Amino acid sequence: MGLLAYESRSSVNDIELITRVVAGDAAAERELYETYVDRIYRLTFRLAGDDELARDFTQATFIRAFEKIGSFRGESSLSTWLHSIGVSVSLNGLRKTKRLRTREAPMEEGLTVGAMPVEAEPDLKERLARAIDSLSDKYRTVFVMHDVEGYTHDEISGTLSIPVGTSKSHLFQARSKLRVALADFAPEWAS
Amino acid sequence: MTEDNFEEFLKKAAQSYNAPPARTPREDMWSAIQAQRAAGPRVVYGGGSGTRESSGRRFGSKIWLGAAAAAVLFLATGVGIGRWTASSNTQGSVAVANPSKTGSNPAPTTEPSGTVPDGSVVGSTPGQNAGGGVEALTPRGVARSGGGQRTGLTGGSGTRVAAGDAAPNPTPASAYQLTTVRHLSEAEALLTSFRTRSTTDQQMDAQLGTWARSLLSNTRLLLDSPVANDPQRRPLLEDLELVLVQIVQLSPGSTPQDREMIEKTLRQDHVMTRLRTAIPAGSQRGS
Repeated sequence: MGLLAYESRSSVNDIELITRVVAGDAAAERELYETYVDRIYRLTFRLAGDDELARDFTQATFIRAFEKIGSFRGESSLSTWLHSIGVSVSLNGLRKTKRLRTREAPMEEGLTVGAMPVEAEPDLKERLARAIDSLSDKYRTVFVMHDVEGYTHDEISGTLSIPVGTSKSHLFQARSKLRVALADFAPEWAS
Repeated sequence: MTEDNFEEFLKKAAQSYNAPPARTPREDMWSAIQAQRAAGPRVVYGGGSGTRESSGRRFGSKIWLGAAAAAVLFLATGVGIGRWTASSNTQGSVAVANPSKTGSNPAPTTEPSGTVPDGSVVGSTPGQNAGGGVEALTPRGVARSGGGQRTGLTGGSGTRVAAGDAAPNPTPASAYQLTTVRHLSEAEALLTSFRTRSTTDQQMDAQLGTWARSLLSNTRLLLDSPVANDPQRRPLLEDLELVLVQIVQLSPGSTPQDREMIEKTLRQDHVMTRLRTAIPAGSQRGS
């Protein structure tokens, strides 16, 4: 499920909600939070891979959103705007923490492991996780949003402020790199 | 066909990648958000996503020590300039709005300009202060005198007065502000490194201890400076001081419980989130 379920909230509802939040309505803040927190938390968790970091990023996302909501222009949906903040906060935070690096191994290392025979699923999971971690931020973010969390290219385009074509290109590049990294498992998908 | 198969295979396999828990910790996060916001208006975090310095840098021990030394030097210089300027200005007093009085008494009080704490109380001319509720632009947003509530940059409708117009010499506040931001950035980097370190890496603990020691000194200097007059900054600096002391006291023989205590302090006091939201967008960590 992508943002579509959230986009289906009418813009009138969003405008009304925003107006109430700007006016200082605490109930409206909570409503906004309850509406979007699951989705934001899931995405930050997928990007961070750590509960503490995901909580930090989610909290920072909403704190920032509440601070800036007065300047929200409605050029995108509220959902897209919130996701945009969430991704920005997460990527900036991750650059600091280097959290990904704890599991990091160079892509080359992942490839050399390919000489090993194909084993059970845990090996695939670990290899895939390392390969995804090795992707650059732009490829990884698009891949996670599209292939893992099910966002459409339109939604990714709005969230990351990139053209739809660029989103597709990033996904293609990400998949290509992952295909190389997982070449040992080719029998599993070629059959 | 093979390509389609691969995409399906990949999507299916990738579902295990950083799989989030089934239940979102809604209440915990909401409580943390409320706690942060109750502490007062914040400078927008990461307002320009590209303006915050890319922090993918490697914290090699030499870089740490260099950064720590630079931070100490910078802080000492900032505090020194602030104190020197403040003391030189005490001979000539200036009128500043006293937030505890101007709400009901429009007459300005006379205080040394050196008491202006980090822009949180901002000087104002008597004429502008006469109506009460004068706002002045500060690095952290808008400070409203006359007992008014502090508001964000876009809020408020009172007369806006640039701090530079009202304060005869804004140097102390600026120096303290800059120094504080640099210090908080350093602290955030340290705590982030602490949280993501390997629990078995004793060498890392030793390096973090050295770094924490230098930050601890700076924290105490700031607590003794006008920066600590800021009602939002003081609790943050005090909580930071506690965490830094705990990290400094970590030794190779420390138990996992010792480390857990630090983690617990970080979590309970929301130190990381408060640090992040206290650092203005675009500020760069000390080099």
